[in-house]
Amino acid sequence: MISVHGLRKHYKVHKRPPGLKAALRSLFHRTYTSVKAVDGISFDIRPGERVGFLGPNGAGKTTTLKVLSGLLHPSEGEVRVDGHVPRLREEAFLKKIMLVMGQKQQLLWDLPPAETFELNRAIYDVPTLQYKQTLDELVGLLEIGDLIGKPTRQLSLGERMKCELAAALIHRPRVLFLDEPTIGLDVSMQATMRTFIKDYNEKYGATLILTSHYMDDVAALCPRVIVIDKGLLSYDGSLEALVQRVRPEKRVVLRLSEVVDASRLESLGKLVTHEAGTAVLQVKQDAVNATISRALSGLPVTDLTVENAPLEEVMSELFAENKARRLQAAESVPA
Amino acid sequence: MNARGLLRALPTMLRVSFAESVAYRAEMFVWVLSTTMPLVNMVLWMAVAKSAPVGNFGQADFVGYFLATFAVRQLTSAWAAWLINWEVKQGTLAMRLLRPISPLWGYASDNVAGFPMRVVVALPVVLLSIALVGADKAVPQHAWQWGLFLVAVLGGWAITFLANVAIGALSLFLDSSQKMMEVWMVLFFVCSGYMYPVEFLPEGLRTVIDWLPFRYQMGLPVELMTNAHDLPTALGLVARQWAWVLGMGALAVGLWKQGVKRFAAFGG
Amino acid sequence: MVRRYLRLLTVQLKASGLQALQYRADFFTDGFTSLCWVFTALAPLFVVYSSRPEVEGWSFGEALLVVGWFTLLQGILEGAINPSLTGVVEHIRKGTLDFVLLKPADAQFLVSTQRFLPWRAFNVLTGLGLFIYAFLLLGRGPSPLGLLTSLLLLGTSTVLLYSLWILTVSAAFFVVRVDNLTYLFTSIFDFARWPSSVFKGVAKGALTLVFTYVIPLALMTTFPAEAMLGRLPALSLVGAVVGSAAFAWVARRVWIRSIGHYTSASS
Repeated sequence: MISVHGLRKHYKVHKRPPGLKAALRSLFHRTYTSVKAVDGISFDIRPGERVGFLGPNGAGKTTTLKVLSGLLHPSEGEVRVDGHVPRLREEAFLKKIMLVMGQKQQLLWDLPPAETFELNRAIYDVPTLQYKQTLDELVGLLEIGDLIGKPTRQLSLGERMKCELAAALIHRPRVLFLDEPTIGLDVSMQATMRTFIKDYNEKYGATLILTSHYMDDVAALCPRVIVIDKGLLSYDGSLEALVQRVRPEKRVVLRLSEVVDASRLESLGKLVTHEAGTAVLQVKQDAVNATISRALSGLPVTDLTVENAPLEEVMSELFAENKARRLQAAESVPA
Repeated sequence: MNARGLLRALPTMLRVSFAESVAYRAEMFVWVLSTTMPLVNMVLWMAVAKSAPVGNFGQADFVGYFLATFAVRQLTSAWAAWLINWEVKQGTLAMRLLRPISPLWGYASDNVAGFPMRVVVALPVVLLSIALVGADKAVPQHAWQWGLFLVAVLGGWAITFLANVAIGALSLFLDSSQKMMEVWMVLFFVCSGYMYPVEFLPEGLRTVIDWLPFRYQMGLPVELMTNAHDLPTALGLVARQWAWVLGMGALAVGLWKQGVKRFAAFGG
Repeated sequence: MVRRYLRLLTVQLKASGLQALQYRADFFTDGFTSLCWVFTALAPLFVVYSSRPEVEGWSFGEALLVVGWFTLLQGILEGAINPSLTGVVEHIRKGTLDFVLLKPADAQFLVSTQRFLPWRAFNVLTGLGLFIYAFLLLGRGPSPLGLLTSLLLLGTSTVLLYSLWILTVSAAFFVVRVDNLTYLFTSIFDFARWPSSVFKGVAKGALTLVFTYVIPLALMTTFPAEAMLGRLPALSLVGAVVGSAAFAWVARRVWIRSIGHYTSASS
């Protein structure tokens, strides 16, 4: 469905140096610096897959999404989406895809969302019957029946985002790019959006690429993740395997009925937190069983669970690792 | 987008744009109130013509001329340059580019859909003008004059809109083309007949102005509205106007296409 | 108290100044557009005076003085007044005015000093240039007393302009969605570009009354020009001083009421 080979996107950024002389000079002779937003990444995505793009700010996630949706021309490399070359911006291609950006909206600010739906129907040339069907379905699933008649400016952020999503799906895109779709939403609204997006993917077999700062989004939606860091692809595979690789340790959470000395806990494994009757231990995977039995026999344990490390932690560790490796590489280059 | 798809989409686009212009009526009202330049110049010229007429213009002619200017300004204005600048800066142009239809159609429909509201504003001014100076100085007298006047208003709007698109497209190359727009506005003010009838300018200058687009944006529709020309002259001028529409159209579409290409290379 | 506010003003001016230094090329582009706009004010005068030596008692050189004052005040308006106005309207629209009201200083002072665009001062230079050109045409210089009076009137004009601005901003509290207010404000100011006596013939002098007492545009540009020419009646001078003080007082009252309206009505 989507194939990317050796994608590079370098920007030339105009530098305006300080100083009057330099400012004057820059009117005639501009100095540019090259920014490597994406520096050679490749991947393939099958139809109907849900893929999460992960990476710190400025890693190149949004740039990649923009290239895939035809808004940016790649500097190098080959990109195909359902057989189309995105940068040609063919009509047939544009009708198949949609990019939803959590921070930019397409809804007309001073008109009810219903007007934007109607406008998109006309622009995407959706047959009337299909339009009615899709709209009914979207309105039902997203519970926006009461909202679509109110001017957009009067809607709350969450309500607006639901309508934004509906507007994006009027033409039933087969490929959906979601750039931070849940940004700023509360937890229950995030969950609603997730369920909806998953349902859409399953019902229409749409291919889906998502970027998000909320790891929960990614964990709930994306069986496969692609990690991009500094424009390079640093991981492509299942989320579980990623966690295994970066943080093979498990967390054993103990609920204790009485106060226990920290030193006794530390003998069992690395103590992560210890407060008011709950202790969290980090232990190697193969030592989990031994730790559990020792804890149960030697400590006043009322409850015990085994968990993975939180995704946020896994990710920050991964990025720190990458950074360390880059620094090392830089140092090893002879001056 | 192919022509048939476009034709199918346009009515809805226009209807939604019209709904938007109704939602923005308060803004438009403020904007109308701020169109004071014709009135500012009207009082000046009335003071000048108090003792004796200037050329062919007496006080009443100036009132007719400048009220017509006010009305034509309402009917032919466009703000696409401003909008494009803003959307480029905010990055929302990306949302428009995702759609399978050129954003230019969207901008055009926004402008055209404002027409009915603008007529509502222009009409009372025209009626006032008729009441003050009489119909023969305020509105066309014959069917052919009405016809040519309407064609000229349409042409004036088209030049203004396309120039807006061209300047707006420049913001895809430069940091902002707002300053460019200001320079264009200054030339428009000075050369278009907006501040004084162009026939008051010395002969040499008038020849230059006849070759520039500005007069066809404003002066020509106003002159046709106040019956300044006979049929052959009027036809000749309207022909020149539409030549400018075509020229400006080619320039605007060319710049826009290049601009979007560059936008995709540099990112928004 | 006064020292504290002076210090605040210095801080705000410094911030705007530093920002302006970042965009030094703007000095030239602003200068260029300023000259262009001056040309639009001059073009009709050239056309008018090519057919008449005098209009309503004003020769070309004398009318040029009015355009000079218009340009100079436009510099003050665009450099020191409009930027803040736009800021307040933005505050009201986004609901961030609350942050300003939370600060332990006079809100009117804070909002009216929040942003300056120093490069727009190019208009002031252009205005001074026009004065020199005008007096060269007239073949004489201004009297020292006339210059002094016109300086005093520069003060009253600025106060008037500022008070009108406060009144306009106050309207923004009551009328929603007024993004175009700056534009409206500037375009009304356009009426000040001609000597106010040209309004005498229109609507039986009603316009003169409006532009002297309701929106005192005549006081802003025509009076200082007359003072430079040494023909401003003493009574008019007194009127300008008293009038601008009264306008400032009214503006302050309206501002306080508007803030009251805002804090009680906002949710």
